[in-house]
Amino acid sequence: MLDYLLDFVTLKYMDEGKLREICKKVRYEILVSTTNAGSGHPTSSLSAVELLTTLFFRGFFDKNDKFLLSKGHAAPLLYALYSALGVVPSDWVNRLRKFGSPYEGHPVPKLDFIDVAAGSLGQGLSVGVGMALGVKLRIKNKKLKIKREPKIWVLLGDSEMAEGQVWEAMEIAAYYKLNNLIAIIDVNRLGQYGETEEGWDIYNYEKKARAFGWETIIIENGHVISEIYRAFKKVSSGTHASKPKMVIAKTIKGKGVSFLENKENWHGKTLDKKELRLAIKELDK
Amino acid sequence: MKKIQKVLNRLKVRISESSFYSTRGAYGEALVELGKENQNVVVLDAEVANSTFENEFQKRFPDRFFEMFIAEENMMSVALGLSKIGYIPFLSTFASFLTQTFDQVRMAQYSQVSKSGSGSLNIVGSHSGVSIGADGPSQMGLEDIAMFRSILNSVVFYPADAVSAKKLTKLMAANKGIFYLRLTRNKTPIIYSENERFKMGGSKIFKLKTKNEKLKILIIAAGITVHEALKAQKELIEEGIDALVLDCYSVKPLDEKTIIKLTEEYKNIIVVEDHYPYGGIGEAISSLLVNNLQQRITNFVHLCVRKIPCSGLTEELLRYEEIDSEAIIKSVRKILL
Repeated sequence: MLDYLLDFVTLKYMDEGKLREICKKVRYEILVSTTNAGSGHPTSSLSAVELLTTLFFRGFFDKNDKFLLSKGHAAPLLYALYSALGVVPSDWVNRLRKFGSPYEGHPVPKLDFIDVAAGSLGQGLSVGVGMALGVKLRIKNKKLKIKREPKIWVLLGDSEMAEGQVWEAMEIAAYYKLNNLIAIIDVNRLGQYGETEEGWDIYNYEKKARAFGWETIIIENGHVISEIYRAFKKVSSGTHASKPKMVIAKTIKGKGVSFLENKENWHGKTLDKKELRLAIKELDK
Repeated sequence: MKKIQKVLNRLKVRISESSFYSTRGAYGEALVELGKENQNVVVLDAEVANSTFENEFQKRFPDRFFEMFIAEENMMSVALGLSKIGYIPFLSTFASFLTQTFDQVRMAQYSQVSKSGSGSLNIVGSHSGVSIGADGPSQMGLEDIAMFRSILNSVVFYPADAVSAKKLTKLMAANKGIFYLRLTRNKTPIIYSENERFKMGGSKIFKLKTKNEKLKILIIAAGITVHEALKAQKELIEEGIDALVLDCYSVKPLDEKTIIKLTEEYKNIIVVEDHYPYGGIGEAISSLLVNNLQQRITNFVHLCVRKIPCSGLTEELLRYEEIDSEAIIKSVRKILL
């Protein structure tokens, strides 16, 4: 399906230094593209850079897997990642949010790697449940003999955990024992304004997710690649064979740029040219 | 193969055996046939399968039946996910409870669930309108047509009898896009023969001969009100009024050609529907007529649900809301005055 990921075996052996380089490039494109567009959500994209870079560049994401960006406003992160994968041309940074461009403000399936539109929060995990059910049904009915069951990965924002639909999806995922469904919560603490309902209380998310029948894995620092790697390794191997999995990662909104990190009033705001220069200088350090 | 034929024959007989059959029952039968025909048909339910008659499919194809419990929003998005993996999902609950899934349907239209795109979403709302009676207004779908019509490229079907319901269900499965099928709780008379054909943008004309033509009137109805219109037609014909009934089973797209053609001859129009006035069939027809002003309509009457309904018998509620055969006849008399 996704031919460019065929060499994911080689990706498996990418070292941490190289991964750091990719994170830097991804951050750079997030910042440049949103400044060029004059709108967008750079800080919400920056908090999940290490999470997704590790997912895509350390061999966790197979060509038959699906990835859903439930927090659709982090679209620049998605485009930057696929740019790093060589799927999206690097000039996308000049075309974000422009009329006629497939790099829309929130993801729409005008690009091969996007299956459903996102941007109305709280719906991505349910779509993931549908895909996970579908994958299992296909394998069962066609009696496919496969080495590795395709996984459905869903990146959720912490703000959208307030949506009732997320918990509807969590209940049903446990009911159907969807062990091929992996949710990642990007707990960056801040919402559109001020703190989210739970703030940085990752252990409260964990308690709730467990009560809903999910296996949980905590990432104390969602910017440390080795920690993310361990967590993904664990969810990929599937210790609790019959449970869906939730990775709860504590992150920093605006990570990578000192004057954006964990700062209020930066949601959905882009840097001006001067601020961008400063930010890039920091990235290069 | 023989076995399948046997089942199909039995189902056919079941519908035609009795002259009354519910559209939701027909939907359930169509699903079973579809389940046999196409491995990709899957069914989702919000814990009302025994009311929407999805339970027959559930029994026969348990692997492809997904109980989603009473979580409609989630059910809609799960169906979208299944369609993106290549399945043809049918999901149903009471029409009234589908209203909470509007955002999920809205988002599906941006996910290329369209005629030319990839994927289909077959949404089925049973227990529509005041005609459900006793359960009261909280259970009556009265905004559902408005809601599903408002989705840009959606298709809305509202069958009046079991034959059309079954055929339209099958039509949905054979096409891509966002479909809404509106069903009625009560058993309604069978008005079509098994070989009748139904299509997107189609309609059916019921014409009876009259001796002297005092007045020509076009009654446009769908679903339960088709039967009220047919009752009124019988009486009106006796009085020498040429009352033509149009079953507008394809609410969106409308059978524009037929309706415009009819208005060349019929300048008095009554639309009667079991739905609130806003965004329903009446508004669809009137906007079609406004766009074809050369037709110069003399009278346009819109009979629909204009008062907050309550519990009661179907007949009582149809009468209370003035969408029964009596109300149609009364409107005709007013035009005659």
